[in-house]
Amino acid sequence: MSTFQQTLFVARKDLLLGWRARTRTLAVALFGMVTLVLFSFAVAADGEVGVSAAAGFLIVALLLSSILSLEESFRLETEDRALEGLLLLPVDPVAIFYGKAIANFVLLVLLGPVLLPLTAIFFSLELDGANLLGMALLWLLAAAGIAAPGTLYASMTSRVTGRDVVLPLLLFPLTLPILMAGVRSFDLILRGDAMSQLKGWTLLLAAFDLVYWVLCGALFSRTLEE
Amino acid sequence: MTPSVITRSLGKRFGRKWALAHVDLEVAAGQGLLVVGDNGSGKTTLLRLLAGLLLPTLGEVEILGSSPQQPGSEARSHLSLVGHQGFLYEALTPLETLALWNRLGGRRKSVAELENLLAEAGLAADRDTRVSGFSSGMRKRLSLTRLHLENPRVVLLDEPFTALDQAGREWLLSTLSRLRADGAALIVASHDPQRAAPICDRAIRIERGQISWQGSLGDLESAS
Repeated sequence: MSTFQQTLFVARKDLLLGWRARTRTLAVALFGMVTLVLFSFAVAADGEVGVSAAAGFLIVALLLSSILSLEESFRLETEDRALEGLLLLPVDPVAIFYGKAIANFVLLVLLGPVLLPLTAIFFSLELDGANLLGMALLWLLAAAGIAAPGTLYASMTSRVTGRDVVLPLLLFPLTLPILMAGVRSFDLILRGDAMSQLKGWTLLLAAFDLVYWVLCGALFSRTLEE
Repeated sequence: MTPSVITRSLGKRFGRKWALAHVDLEVAAGQGLLVVGDNGSGKTTLLRLLAGLLLPTLGEVEILGSSPQQPGSEARSHLSLVGHQGFLYEALTPLETLALWNRLGGRRKSVAELENLLAEAGLAADRDTRVSGFSSGMRKRLSLTRLHLENPRVVLLDEPFTALDQAGREWLLSTLSRLRADGAALIVASHDPQRAAPICDRAIRIERGQISWQGSLGDLESAS
């Protein structure tokens, strides 16, 4: 079995586990929705301020929801030391990382159809077809930028006492470039791109995604050592 | 002939405490080694080091000529560990669990063959029940099915008889006897030497992380 096939098999297993624990997955989506509701009450949700804040709140809601999703992904692995069961097989750790990262990415992407329309409603955004397509693409890039380092850090902290606190403490600083580039890109889509800056920010986001996916895949096996 | 399992001055420290220190072992193909010792003496640490799940602080481990420490290594494709934990996913069914181990282990057994393995383990009727609904005995049987799936050349067992009923113990003993006859090296950590006697010929006692006694199984009782 090639590393690629192993990766797909691990991703399939994680998605199946995510589906079987769908009440938990729904709770993650609900958490993201509640976060957006709170943000919409915290600032004036209409007018220029609302549009300006919407992009930031959307990415922050994704980031906060991702913590729950990532923790769950490794809680299932440590429950009966199931991950060790995989490590005892001749499986490439790289396949385990990318399989889990892909599954986490898919679960974060699935938050998009819930959080994006809700943001549009709460912050009175006027979206046309081109805007929606652009936002969907940006959502994929933002989710990818969180999924890779999130999987790495969730693995690192899975055996640590107080992992609920440690994971965000480690992950949030690392995702600052994703947060900044994501927010700027969303903002430019929503308010117009008079200075043609969107391409630059989107490329920056994609570049960080690439760096994170390569680097985290290379470092993952170190997190498995005890 | 090179032994299947070799440790040289093996040691593991957790924080300031040495869980295991200076353990030298050799287990040949077809041999059974019983590891006895009180709770916390280092038996589980020894097995986890042999399986490559822990990195040694001191010394080295060789399984069939190579180190098991590297995930995905050749040594790992020839060893099985059944421990206190079953390495099971609660939300998967037994058939899905075997399919996962089968495919990721690089084996190509058919669904019918996997179903046969479940039937041998007495789990045929529960093939579609999720593991979360299993009793501890059923979990143990499922994790032991891994031995049938992998036909390992090195078998590491940590309290293998715990949670099993009489039929389960007999099934396990016949499995281990067959593997041993096929040339597998067995290392069994158990508080129950009498149950492990049919599959072991040597024994070691570990106290505070060090081998305090070793000899034949027959001498174990008089040494206690």
